[in-house]
Amino acid sequence: MIRSPLTNPYVLILPGFLLAAFIILWPLYQLGLISLNEVNRFGQLRGFNDAENYIAVFTDPDFLGALWRTAIWTGGIVIGTLLVSVPVAMILNDDFYGRSIARVIIMLPWAVSLTMTAIVWRWALSGESGMLNSGLQNLGLIDQNIQWLARASTAFPVQIMIGILVTIPFTTTIFLGGLSSIPDDLYEAARLEGASRWQTFREITLPLMKPFLNISIVLNMIYVFNSFPIIWATTQGGPANSTDILVTYLYKLGFRFGKLGEASALSVMMFALLLAFTILYVSLAMRRDSK
Amino acid sequence: MRKLAFTTALAGAAFLSLAGMAAAETVRVTVAEYSSKTGPYFEEAAKAFEEANPDADIQIEVVPWDVLLQKLTTDISGGANADLSIIGTRWLIDFVEQGIAAPLDEYMSDEFKDRFFPVFLEPSVMDGKTYGLPIAASARAMYYNKDLFEQAGIEEVPDTWEELAAAAEKISALGDDIAGFGLQGKEIETDVYFYYAFWAHGGELVEDDGTSGLDSEAAYKAAETYKSLIDSGATQPGVTSYNREDVQNLFKQGKVGMMITAPFLSNQIKEEAPDLEYGVAAIPAGPDGDRGTYGVTDSIIMFENSENKELAWKFLDMLFTTEWRAKFTEGEGFLPVNPEVAKQPAFADNADLKAFTDLLPDARFAPVIPGWEEIAAKTSDAVQKIYLGDAEPKAALDAAAEEINGILGN
Repeated sequence: MIRSPLTNPYVLILPGFLLAAFIILWPLYQLGLISLNEVNRFGQLRGFNDAENYIAVFTDPDFLGALWRTAIWTGGIVIGTLLVSVPVAMILNDDFYGRSIARVIIMLPWAVSLTMTAIVWRWALSGESGMLNSGLQNLGLIDQNIQWLARASTAFPVQIMIGILVTIPFTTTIFLGGLSSIPDDLYEAARLEGASRWQTFREITLPLMKPFLNISIVLNMIYVFNSFPIIWATTQGGPANSTDILVTYLYKLGFRFGKLGEASALSVMMFALLLAFTILYVSLAMRRDSK
Repeated sequence: MRKLAFTTALAGAAFLSLAGMAAAETVRVTVAEYSSKTGPYFEEAAKAFEEANPDADIQIEVVPWDVLLQKLTTDISGGANADLSIIGTRWLIDFVEQGIAAPLDEYMSDEFKDRFFPVFLEPSVMDGKTYGLPIAASARAMYYNKDLFEQAGIEEVPDTWEELAAAAEKISALGDDIAGFGLQGKEIETDVYFYYAFWAHGGELVEDDGTSGLDSEAAYKAAETYKSLIDSGATQPGVTSYNREDVQNLFKQGKVGMMITAPFLSNQIKEEAPDLEYGVAAIPAGPDGDRGTYGVTDSIIMFENSENKELAWKFLDMLFTTEWRAKFTEGEGFLPVNPEVAKQPAFADNADLKAFTDLLPDARFAPVIPGWEEIAAKTSDAVQKIYLGDAEPKAALDAAAEEINGILGN
């Protein structure tokens, strides 16, 4: 059969590619252009300046701090979510009375906007009138109010915990899809052979879930790396930049201080960093798969 | 024949309506949302203006304060800015340097200038030209809770920082959830809260030689004053988790003895905690009697690239008539910037407002220098480190001063 040139796959994806180019590549080109120029407060270009924007970002001590915290933030939330979501998905995959309701409850936080969730948490974490403090006091766990957001050593872990909580619904959904694709007879056969629950989990569930684990790690990494509302609504990166991650630092550079050139340079670096990590992870995961 | 007449009439009508459309001039106005009353106020003003000028079309865009600068930046870089906009006067220098704000002098008659208190027009004058009109003005004073003062046996309202410290400790001793002095340590104006003590100790934000004043005795003293208040438990615990609204909420709940903030707290107390017995007094003075309050104005500016400047000015002219000014100023709880408005009983007989206007001779405005927002952020960072105990006052302030000098170009 001779294929018409019109059904050539490249021709078929062309419209989609053009649309993507229009909304992704064009702004990216603009961003690169701004990052190489001297820019005034209002985004008007004033000529090339020998990558000074990039140097300025690199030499800013706040940048390195934010970079390190972004790594903790992304790693903490992605791994934490993974550890919580796998058991949650396995429980929800079992048949039990009220499972549909349990599934809805797990999914509910997804329906609320991230900013709203973060603001509610800000209230809950308030030192004097927060739900968390009064809850812990009623349980007798603490006898004095803790000022959760007053310093980074308490604020940042709490922010990561909120991040994990809001990432669970999406991740669990992916895992539920993965679990339902594992045929039941595998488990039956294993039980007949006398495999323990732990063995079936390690030898059947985990290997067959691998593609789903990988996709959730990649997607979550991208979402979390760029996630702005939780930190902004609770501490705005403070006190004294001690909870800043790259996105909040970027926002301050661009819209507070009006350094649009440096902000663009930082955006380009963040894009490159995320792209590199994603490609690295995907290629590592794929190589293990093809082995 | 009849048909022809009809067609002619129709064509004529069409022509007229076309001409009418061409004559309708649009003026877009970006306004900051100070409260829920801001939007309706400007919509009403626009409607009144359109009735008086049938050809005019005034479009009001209400933007929350937090994102105003971001919106303006995006609009201007995309060439999609409005004709008029409210801005923080401290941003004005950037707008003027980049040729974005239009000078207004050619439109301003002497009669128009006389409508303002000169002190409020001054901050928007640069190189001898007026680039903005003060749409909102505010200053800061100390609120105190009369009930808590009575319970703690304090008779005199503290007039110096030493007296304040003594009073704050007495009030804090009243109970675990009562704090003597509400200290803001987070988000917008954290630096300003530090300046109150800094100015009282004789400090200047930018010294005569153009360098930062943070590496001065006054700054160290001010920081030590606040730090010792924190350490002795005279403030609410965990100050770095309280922004201005959080401290105001504590005050409204009667949990804070004293705090320094703007006139609008009076309006909020009236609505949310009408039973609270409070007074408004001057910000305490330093050892040498120095005192300083923070004066803030927001300006309304006209954009240089506006195509309907004449009409835009006409709208401004209406906004700054006594009737419209009084309505706005009273609704939002700002200080009157116009003598005629100040004479009205709603303002003249208001004891709270009087405490603020009395402070105006001591008012200092944010210095007119490019990069002020960044300098403010560096200062906030430094004082947060001090409040947390992560850095010694002198070390933190010296480091901040060095960074600020870099921004100032020294």
